[in-house]
Amino acid sequence: MISQFFVLSLRGDNIVFRDYRGDVPKGSAEIFFRKVKFWKEDEEEAPPVFEAMPLLVESTHLNWPCGNEDNYCYNCGRDYTDPRDSAALSQVSRRCTGQSLCSAKAWELVLCRAAFGLFNLDGVNYFHVKVAGLLFVSTTRVNVSPSLVLELLQRIARVIKDYLGVLNEDSLRKNFVLVYELLDEVIDFGYVQTTSTELLKSYVFNEPIVVDAARLPSLGPAAMFMQGNKRMPGTAVTKSVVANEPGGRKREEIFVDIIEKISVTFSSSGYILTSEIDGTIQMKSYLTGNPEIRLALNEDLSIGRDGRSIYDYSSSAGGGVVILDDCNFHESVHLDSFDIDRTLTLVPPDGEFPVMNYRMTQEFKPPFRINALIEEAGSFRAEVILKIRADFSSNITANTILVQMPVPKYTNRVSFELEPGAVGNTTDFREANKRIEWGLKKIVGGSEHTLRAKLTFSQEPHANLMKEAGPVSMTFTIPMYNASRLQVRYLQIAKKSKTYNPYRWVRYVTQANSYVARI
Amino acid sequence: MAPPALPQKSPSPSQPSGKGEVADLKIQLRQHAGSRAPGADDAKRELFKKVISYMTIGVDVSSLFSEMVMCSATSDIVLKKMCYLYVGNYAKGNPDLALLTINFLQKDCRDEDPMIRGLALRSLCSLRLANLVEYLVGPLGSGLKDNNSYVRTVAAIGVLKLYHISAATCVDADFPSTLKALLLKDSDAQVVANCLSALQEIWSLEAATSEEASREREALLSKPVIYYLLNRIKEFNEWAQCLVLDLVVKYIPSDSNEIFDIMNLLEDRLQHANGAVVLATIKVFLHLTLSMTDVHQQVYERIKAPLLTLVSSGSQEQSYAVLSHLHLLVMRAPMLFSSDYKHFYCQYNEPSYVKKLKLEMLTAVANESNTYEIVTELCEYAANVDVPIARESIRAVGKIALQQYDVNAIVDRLLQFLEMEKDYVTAETLVLVKDLLRKYPQWSHDCIAVVGNISSKNVQEPKAKAALIWMLGEYSQDMLDAPYILESLIENWDDEHSAEVRLHLLTAILKCFFKRPPETQKALGAALAAGLADSHQDVHDRALFYYRLLQYNVSVAESVVNPPKQAVSVFADTQSSEIKDRIFDEFNSLSVIYQKPSYMFTDKEHRGPFEFSEDLGSLSVGVESADTVSPAQRVEASDNDLLLSTSEKEESRGPSNNGSAYSAPVYDGSSISMAASQTQSVPTFQNQALPAYTPQAILAIDDLLGLGPSVAPAPAAAPPPSPPPLKLNPKAVIDPSTFQRKWGQLSVSLSKEISMGSKGAAALTTPQVLLRHMQGHSIQCIASGGQAPNFKFFFYAQKAEEPAAFYLVECVVNTFSSKAQIKFKAEDQSTNHAFSALFQSALSTLGMS
Repeated sequence: MISQFFVLSLRGDNIVFRDYRGDVPKGSAEIFFRKVKFWKEDEEEAPPVFEAMPLLVESTHLNWPCGNEDNYCYNCGRDYTDPRDSAALSQVSRRCTGQSLCSAKAWELVLCRAAFGLFNLDGVNYFHVKVAGLLFVSTTRVNVSPSLVLELLQRIARVIKDYLGVLNEDSLRKNFVLVYELLDEVIDFGYVQTTSTELLKSYVFNEPIVVDAARLPSLGPAAMFMQGNKRMPGTAVTKSVVANEPGGRKREEIFVDIIEKISVTFSSSGYILTSEIDGTIQMKSYLTGNPEIRLALNEDLSIGRDGRSIYDYSSSAGGGVVILDDCNFHESVHLDSFDIDRTLTLVPPDGEFPVMNYRMTQEFKPPFRINALIEEAGSFRAEVILKIRADFSSNITANTILVQMPVPKYTNRVSFELEPGAVGNTTDFREANKRIEWGLKKIVGGSEHTLRAKLTFSQEPHANLMKEAGPVSMTFTIPMYNASRLQVRYLQIAKKSKTYNPYRWVRYVTQANSYVARI
Repeated sequence: MAPPALPQKSPSPSQPSGKGEVADLKIQLRQHAGSRAPGADDAKRELFKKVISYMTIGVDVSSLFSEMVMCSATSDIVLKKMCYLYVGNYAKGNPDLALLTINFLQKDCRDEDPMIRGLALRSLCSLRLANLVEYLVGPLGSGLKDNNSYVRTVAAIGVLKLYHISAATCVDADFPSTLKALLLKDSDAQVVANCLSALQEIWSLEAATSEEASREREALLSKPVIYYLLNRIKEFNEWAQCLVLDLVVKYIPSDSNEIFDIMNLLEDRLQHANGAVVLATIKVFLHLTLSMTDVHQQVYERIKAPLLTLVSSGSQEQSYAVLSHLHLLVMRAPMLFSSDYKHFYCQYNEPSYVKKLKLEMLTAVANESNTYEIVTELCEYAANVDVPIARESIRAVGKIALQQYDVNAIVDRLLQFLEMEKDYVTAETLVLVKDLLRKYPQWSHDCIAVVGNISSKNVQEPKAKAALIWMLGEYSQDMLDAPYILESLIENWDDEHSAEVRLHLLTAILKCFFKRPPETQKALGAALAAGLADSHQDVHDRALFYYRLLQYNVSVAESVVNPPKQAVSVFADTQSSEIKDRIFDEFNSLSVIYQKPSYMFTDKEHRGPFEFSEDLGSLSVGVESADTVSPAQRVEASDNDLLLSTSEKEESRGPSNNGSAYSAPVYDGSSISMAASQTQSVPTFQNQALPAYTPQAILAIDDLLGLGPSVAPAPAAAPPPSPPPLKLNPKAVIDPSTFQRKWGQLSVSLSKEISMGSKGAAALTTPQVLLRHMQGHSIQCIASGGQAPNFKFFFYAQKAEEPAAFYLVECVVNTFSSKAQIKFKAEDQSTNHAFSALFQSALSTLGMS
């Protein structure tokens, strides 16, 4: 069970705050935000689950036997409730031993607390996920299942998005009353009731105030929080499940997205060290009457590798068969005929949800080949040559490509040289983290692109320059391409009427998760 | 006396203090209070929104309470909801004003729209005011009987809310038994789930004082209830499924058929997209099969793929939670994961908390066949831009070197690190080379050649510097210029800020002196002088000690400071196996993430419902191997620690289970009969061979307890059990720390082994059976643990008349041999025999009723 749920902006403002059990001292949101912001000196990121002690000075809602009902010092006017003043307590005790006047009351306060055993206050457990530049947080004092709480937070974010169409700080602020309506029904006294967008519909009475998705800045300051988000921006439909279309009539349509995240590591000689595809079939249905849907996948799809090592590449060459290592399904999916003809049957609930997640380590053809070279070019100088070749069909275009490569720490200047006639390229030397960045708007299948960078060093480079630079990493999005060759053969909507022919969108997209070439 | 008003604080400077605005709102709300004009609701909505938004950002709007209540007389449901939210938030601070809301809430509880009834009931129960409980009982009672399931779900949780406000009111109204009836018959799964949540919480809290409640709490774990819930599992939503699975974990099946039935039923839950459901299912599987080694191992094989899928799907946060659990399993049975090592390679964009887990897993699964590839991969990370991870990677390489037989190649890699000339790489590597040399002194020649080339000026980190100095002292006979390097370090004594380094410097120069006296004598003198003048107490003392030792007898000094060393065979594990087992028992909880058992970070009351054996934190116990186990068996038991690593044997047995994720689960007839025959033929010591319950673990517990060495058993001359004249206090209470203290202070007054009779032993299927039984005799249990056939209990009782002395008992029962070993400690020695007789007679009647 959880105690509180809240959503914070990147600046730490509460946008929504709901206390379910009243057993966590106040100020938890601030304590949380400070912890996340200043996790450690070495720029480490705060883990999604951690424990923090409530500051002693914050347990204000107790009735002290000394008759003091607050943490306010009658003599000096000092307010010990201020959580920002973590040193308050040590000062209190120091002053008390120093027989200072102010201490009389404050010392009494400290003694009272000691009498209550409050010096051993147990901590509060904080869970958080970052979605769309917002922090979704939950607290509890119970030893709960961390997976459950993190899933729940992610799910709450999704439900909110289903209702608001677009999830961001702006839309949340405009619709916070609706969000409270949802939160009331999703959790009661810390226990999860339902996260089904569909079931929740009957409890939501506020009309969403829809934020125009087109005007949204694509990334902006939220970018740092987007990094970990494996969900794709842009593919999900920005339409609320409850709001009416401007035309007044709802359009009958269903979206099926096959989203694949690929991870490849190339050795310095271009050999594939590891590769993996993590895929999701995501669905969002706007069909009225909840008809049953049949989704047919490749007939020759096979699952599991018969106990053999899953990295046994030699076995996978046998033409065209898609072999998944493993997969899991949404609970609405019926697998009755899956073993026979690889068909999934389901009645899609409202809102966006993953029909199936799958994982594949079968060998596949990576969409990009990366060739990177660094060599000395005179004293205090070196040259980097980066080559990217797009190994896919020419009617497909990849977009938003970014190639990054760390260069030696003692690099102080870089000049770039692009191929003649290159368009939509950006180059940058990030001085602070000693990294060169090469952005390309789009890459057409079959093409090859080269970047030369001349580095100037502030000192004599080490003998082994290769060890000082790299690896090269790459991010990209390729629409209408999927590396696994998993296909939706057909999407059948079981509804008798002949005139009923809703729009069906089946879209494929591949993104880089960790695409790395060592040098 | 009312405290002076506090200055209004805004939680962040960017937000308004809201004082003026609140006053404004007050006026506007008043204007609209009675208005029934068209459009009034819209205006009110806007006002209410403002109030709620202030509330959210932390501005105190409690002063608007009466205005809000006045405005709430409306049929607009949006307004109603906002008002309920507001009232719930501020009722506590305004108990008198809250009374105003009771009327309209009660009225709404009788509304014909079930939605309104539910909402009103929920708000009514959320007021958290003791003075209003009398108004709750009626609406709750009818809510539980409502024909709408939404109202019933709200009412079930409402009962729990009422219990937290006033337990007595809740119990007096007999709500728990109403919930129990609903639990077993309601057609709506969410009502059932909420009843279960509420009952678990209520009975766990009640059990402390009421015997009946603890019986009820256990009744939830009875076969009919568990089977009833399991048969309906697919009706529950995913969250309620987790709740049910958490309950099933605590159920103890009577035989292996039952175990396989449950596993077959839950098999498809492993394919659920919700990680929480999968982990809860895995916990059931792991715990059910603990005593069936082969099946337990099959479970590991079965859950591997789903876990890996969960790690790579979902958000980064979700995969971290799952990865932590995978980490736990890998650490328990690294051999089973040795072919999956590539899954634990780090990706460059992963956060460091993920990378750290993966590095530990890579270290654990390294064996002869994969070490080369793992170490090659780790070496890539060592040059990483992420310095903390680069350091961790180097440490990982070192750890692998320390656990492998063939360290040849790895030593070469480590030495290559030293050539990278990166400060942190050099520093980490030096520390590792030092440890390596302590385990494999035979490598000294190769290492010294490289280490000798490192200039001590390039080593700044104290740990690394200390390691370098240690090597200089230890191998000064092989390193030509060792005395001179040490000498120059001593010359800069005052610039050396780390006491650790100075301590090492003293020891190293002395070692060097024993090997090469003429070259070192001068430097030694300088070091001792500097040490004696040192302001750090330890450094000063060590210098003085060396000085006097040398003065007394140089050869004695040498045998003290530089004796021949034995190579270290195993470096101490940082975490005791007992702790690890506790974490494993708490699978699918925060314990796994924090890597410590719950008693280290949570209060007893917050450890979650159904925490039976945890009353004492450090005092709870595993299964103690009875003293009848011979030493040879003990050794065998601890060797079997590695039980899970005998995977080869397993793999050769026919087709494995996880061939296809879609074939029906292979917990079929053949494996059942196999397992069944195994249970018959294997002696009961099998249980002790499980990693979870090794004898070492018990020793660790005794240490934790601070109980000191066990006391020699007293002569077994038992007094004839006569009808005891002793009266015990039926409501004796002692807190864990007092118990622990008393246990430490008192000596064992009587220790004996008695036979329980087969009936008693047969009745003892879980520790709780005995707990309840003894409670009936006014003997309370403070901690218990174990699994069949071994259980351990700590009991206490208190004399009814003056002096109210306590009796403390440790009781170890082996149900296989029907024997109980009992140690008594008593504050009042004169009545000790009477008490022990009473205790024994109580014990002997177990299972008779």
